[in-house]
Amino acid sequence: MSRSGHRPFSLSRIGALSGNTFTELVRLKVFYFLLIFALLLIGNSLFMARLSFQQEFQVLKDVSLGAMSIFTSILAIVATAQLLPRDVEDRTIYTILAKPVPRYEYLIGKLGGVLLLLAFSVLAMTALFFAVLFLREHMLIAATMRETTGMRPEQIQEAVERLKASAFNAGLVPGIVIIFLKASLLAALTLFISTFATSNIFTVVVMVFIYFIGHLQSTAREYWLQEHGGGVLVKIFVAFVALIFPDLQLFNLVDDIVAGTAIPMALFAKTAVLGIVYTSVYLFFAWVSFHGKEL
Amino acid sequence: MIEPAVAVNNLTKIFPIPFRRTKLVAVRDLSLEVAPGQVYGLLGPNGSGKSTTLKIILGLVSPTAGRTKIFGRDSREVGSREAVGFLPENPYFYKYLTGAETLRFYGKLCGLGGRELKTRTAEMLQLVGLQDARDRRLGGYSKGMLQRIGLAQALIQEPKLVVLDEPTAGVDPAGSREIRDLILDLKGRGITVLLSSHLLAQVQEICDRVGILAHGILVREGKVQDLLSIENQTELILEDATPETLAQIAALLDKSQTRLIGQRHPQTTLERLFLEATARLPEKE
Repeated sequence: MSRSGHRPFSLSRIGALSGNTFTELVRLKVFYFLLIFALLLIGNSLFMARLSFQQEFQVLKDVSLGAMSIFTSILAIVATAQLLPRDVEDRTIYTILAKPVPRYEYLIGKLGGVLLLLAFSVLAMTALFFAVLFLREHMLIAATMRETTGMRPEQIQEAVERLKASAFNAGLVPGIVIIFLKASLLAALTLFISTFATSNIFTVVVMVFIYFIGHLQSTAREYWLQEHGGGVLVKIFVAFVALIFPDLQLFNLVDDIVAGTAIPMALFAKTAVLGIVYTSVYLFFAWVSFHGKEL
Repeated sequence: MIEPAVAVNNLTKIFPIPFRRTKLVAVRDLSLEVAPGQVYGLLGPNGSGKSTTLKIILGLVSPTAGRTKIFGRDSREVGSREAVGFLPENPYFYKYLTGAETLRFYGKLCGLGGRELKTRTAEMLQLVGLQDARDRRLGGYSKGMLQRIGLAQALIQEPKLVVLDEPTAGVDPAGSREIRDLILDLKGRGITVLLSSHLLAQVQEICDRVGILAHGILVREGKVQDLLSIENQTELILEDATPETLAQIAALLDKSQTRLIGQRHPQTTLERLFLEATARLPEKE
């Protein structure tokens, strides 16, 4: 091997690590949770017969997007928490880092594998969700056609258009992308914590706290600023808290989507950039903590 | 001057003990060199600093003082590990991967790909005798098989140096013998081997040079023959000697004032006896 042969950054090494992590998680059968999601959707559809179609679609979207958000978050935390400790415990990490693999590539590879898993999970859940939505839409259109027999064609057309508008709306796909980005930042943060955590349970417990604080902090912040005013120090403190505990409420666009409100492009772009920045910053923190770690 | 395969200069490693004021000195001012093509054994009881030294050489742990080099490159450089293969003590690989998948994964980490990776994977599986188990998941491998797949992953990129930490720990005598043969095969190919062990008989058989560590200090170092030979004693091994011949020899020794320290039948090793008695059975599939 030549001295100049080693590349400090190799996409093929990262690809191998990500692919391996993805295979590990898939063979651990983590995709079984999709069955629960499918059952939830089917169960949900069965109990909505008595609702109006607007209500039915609202509930379907609310339940599906809410479940997607929770499932991907849980998956991101639980799947990531065990990756590093297990490699250390089984000494597999020695065999990997004794190869010409920089530690940042190892971390990027591990996170990449989890993100791949999350992407597949979100895609599978989206496919299930859209399939149920599509089926219900067509069933309701058929029912509407039957009920409106004898009406003027314009009236029928109007009823069908109204129904279609409340089924699929423009906010669905951006909303799902944001759910994925929220799970990504949670995975990166979990990876960071697992670089210094003493056990998987510690990592998961800390992440559960962060998850709740992340969702509640915007309410607490508003209350605090109202009560104590917004001096420079307070703002710095609030920004610091927002860095340590991500403001997860910003990633909660489900209510707007359910209400049928279109997500403005600017809001989507801002939230997406925020998700990517959070993920990158936590990955960097993970590297800072891990690069000098004695194995 | 030939660049040593491994150079350790004044290496010291101190581990702070959390919540206590004391520190643990794992390695103290250690210096040694391993020449290319040599099989070097690092001996010592548990906790003597063998594994720590190996980890520092591989860049997994940073030294408190001193430095280590691999073929002239500082161990802290990631690129220094291009020429190295490592088998840790009692390794557990990803048990959900098959033997072939494991080797492909490690090959990719070393920059191999395409046809080259495929060929190397097949060669390594053959070298360690696991062709028949190539598509079985590692979760179903025996300890000896895991050790062999570990050796195969260490060799996947044709390294110039192989580092083995207790390569026969927990392996039965037959498996241990196979690993020993593999190490001798590596030596035949000109690959440098640095291994740690506390199984002295085995090290004696395969190592050209040994270093003995105790409490992190290198207490003895040198060629195996030099360290083991007792300069003022000579051993004669006779075949079919009659009691009369022995008596004559004893008289001759007596006349020349040479003291006969002992007279005995040479013995086989326990390892050889065990292997002959149990005869190798085929690997269970």
